Amino acid sequence: MGCDIITVSTDTEFVHLAWRKSEKELAKVHYPMAADPTGNVSRLFGVYDENTGLALRGTFIINPEGVLVNSEVNFYNLGRNIDESMRKFKANVYMSRKTSEVCPSKWKDEGDKTLTPSEALVGAVHEALQN
Amino acid sequence: MSETVKLGQKVPEIELTTYEPTTNKFGSFKLSDQVDQKRWTVLFFYPADFTFV
Repeated sequence: MGCDIITVSTDTEFVHLAWRKSEKELAKVHYPMAADPTGNVSRLFGVYDENTGLALRGTFIINPEGVLVNSEVNFYNLGRNIDESMRKFKANVYMSRKTSEVCPSKWKDEGDKTLTPSEALVGAVHEALQN
Repeated sequence: MSETVKLGQKVPEIELTTYEPTTNKFGSFKLSDQVDQKRWTVLFFYPADFTFV
């Protein structure tokens, strides 16, 4: 299952190039860095701040059918937890294969306990999570 | 102003110019190419270059 990460800010591609080349922390960055100077794509995802012209810290997962399946937006002052982003991505890939299952809050990776909603699960989530 | 896309909705076509670190060239990203190639996409927005992602 292929996945592509694209970073997006309202900087131009020229600034992306300059930043990537000057900041040693970015030496290992290999994903495409997209330019959204009009803010139109940032607006589409609701992360454009009209007061500053900047995009908030949004992470959006789009499935192979082009449907938005997960979103997370942090304000300027809170970084994202990459483990949580990975958990959300893995869970969405898993659930796209096992469409009758859902991933509870403690699900981390393949093999962890999932739930299969049904009549039998109503009022019995506690027991289902124990097994 | 344009509508925002909601969870569970198909994302409208997106086209963006990119800088491609692997080739050191400018390129482009089209969401419809991802759909054609059956690939997952993660869009990672951040406020600005030369700041502290």
